Amino acid sequence: MSQALNPAIRPASADAPAVAGPQLRDALRRQLERMGRRLPDDDPARPVALPTGFAALDAALNGGGWPTGAIIELMPEAQGIGELSLLLPALAQLNRAGRYVAWIAPPCLPYPPALEQHGLMLDRLLLVQAQDTPTILWAAEQALRCPAIGAVIAWPAALDDRRVRRLQLAAETGGSCGLLYRPVAAAQQSSPAALRLRLKALDGGLHIDILKARGGHTHALVVHPAAALCA
Amino acid sequence: MLWLCILLPRFALEASAGGPPQAAQAALETLALWALQWSSQVSVRPADATGSALLWLEIGASRQLFGPLFGHDDALCERIAASLAPLGFSHRMGLAPTPQGAALLARADCPPHAAAATTPSQLQQRLAPLPLGLLALPRQHIAALEGAGLRRIGELLALPMAAIAQRFGPDTSLYLRRLRGEAQEPLRMVQPPCRFASRCEFASPVASTTALLFPLQRLLAGLQGYLRSLDRAIQRYTLVLEHHRQAATRLTIGLARPGRDAAQFQALARERLAALVLPAPVDALRVEAPELLQPLVLQTDLFSHEARQLEQLQQVLDRLAARLGATDVHTLRSAADHRPERAWGMAAAPLAGAQAAPATARPVMPARPCWLLREPQRIAMPRELLAGPERIESGWWDGADIARDYYLAREASGAQLWVFHDLRGGGWHVHGLWA
Repeated sequence: MSQALNPAIRPASADAPAVAGPQLRDALRRQLERMGRRLPDDDPARPVALPTGFAALDAALNGGGWPTGAIIELMPEAQGIGELSLLLPALAQLNRAGRYVAWIAPPCLPYPPALEQHGLMLDRLLLVQAQDTPTILWAAEQALRCPAIGAVIAWPAALDDRRVRRLQLAAETGGSCGLLYRPVAAAQQSSPAALRLRLKALDGGLHIDILKARGGHTHALVVHPAAALCA
Repeated sequence: MLWLCILLPRFALEASAGGPPQAAQAALETLALWALQWSSQVSVRPADATGSALLWLEIGASRQLFGPLFGHDDALCERIAASLAPLGFSHRMGLAPTPQGAALLARADCPPHAAAATTPSQLQQRLAPLPLGLLALPRQHIAALEGAGLRRIGELLALPMAAIAQRFGPDTSLYLRRLRGEAQEPLRMVQPPCRFASRCEFASPVASTTALLFPLQRLLAGLQGYLRSLDRAIQRYTLVLEHHRQAATRLTIGLARPGRDAAQFQALARERLAALVLPAPVDALRVEAPELLQPLVLQTDLFSHEARQLEQLQQVLDRLAARLGATDVHTLRSAADHRPERAWGMAAAPLAGAQAAPATARPVMPARPCWLLREPQRIAMPRELLAGPERIESGWWDGADIARDYYLAREASGAQLWVFHDLRGGGWHVHGLWA
């Protein structure tokens, strides 16, 4: 009879009711397929990679864009070289698809008129001001877990492998893009992040060193984020 | 009728850790509210001399209700057990058509298959091999039964009831008839109060906010059960920390949307407590939820992808705001002003389901940098100017007028700056970065 009656023999587990989940889901999926519909999370339109908006970069990245459900580290040699503009086409695309973008502890104000010029939707922007590293990482983790948030951009002051792994797990849970800006010195260390890019200014363009790409290869290329705006 | 009995053998100790007896009683009342989410018929037996308490839930009716969702009794009992586990009370369960039968099976502490009986004959079978000592009868009554050469409950139940009454007295006979369902058990059912207020008094003052989380979890479990039993939700609740001879600390914890999920209530409280500096040790913890609201149908709408996403977004916003403060979680807007530092503003964090504000006419302006410095910074004359000037002269009407020539400048590092030459005060300033 009742399996649950004696917890000493079969410990009551907090997720016990979820056991029926996958079967229920499968049954629902089949039922819905017959009706010509599908379950929300099986959305085939949700890409595994998010096109960057730069053909040369898409071509260099495994999957043809920013990996989703993963952590990406960006290590610019200086501020003001186009390190943020590099993300804007992808962020605008997420906004158009109805997803939010969370900015956690940015070093300056993401300037609303500029964001709008790049096609971002300000009502799908979430700005979180956190002071210390633990709070920044905690907030990033919360945001990454939320499927409504398509990308989380964070500027943590300090980071180690354990914390990157935690964020990686959160990104996998939420299926979102976790973009971390780190000082260029971090390029010397290894990291569990799925994609690591070193950025520097080169002849008015942005030189990208792909230091690590999960399932891909290292590579170097130049894109012109500022040019994208003028065009 | 099918009764689930939850036996809490160390309840007095686990509920109040040596505190006053009324603390254990209050904890049992809260636990009864927790139980109300599973059954409208809940009864309790307060802790006895050994500190053991009982909780009865009639789940025969709930089984009909939860049936289509959870399949069979196992699933319902499992859900109940899973919900009880994090509250930290040792417990054993018994399932039987009578309250006394369920309690007896719970006391027997037998393997799971033997602790559940759904029909009177099955109950008879389960009881038969158990020792007489498990009967809820005074010690001397059991001694009398054993004196008559009886060892097992089955042997006793095999005797005619008239003979039992004659030989062992009316108390024993009445108890056995209740055990078998031949007589009605007088149970007093728990009624949900019209206002929720639950209190937990500590045996010794608590000095850390972290130590409040576990007792709080028990109170909030009661709140969730209470709300579910009434099919209501709340949008805020008050957490009261009582101090010795000092005004209590009151925290109002708000949700962006009506909810009734204890885990969500707890997560919000955790953030608030983490940020709180206790003015004094805490003697007691109280949870009050005065305003009951209609629950939102949205939360259970399995098929509405968008609604579910917004719900999740709202929960994240709640959590962030609870830990960081609402002013540190917001969104941005642009404003129709030519002055760069006034061409934007902050807005409240996006509300789930909020419609995008209608686009207002904004001045058409040349390209702007992604980063704006909070305050322009004085710099030396830039080395290289790539574009400009763009003259911005505005604000004469409100006294904050400016007259500047903006340029795109490049530094040796390749960084591109948005700089201006101040036409009034002179001098060069950096105002943004083309990040």
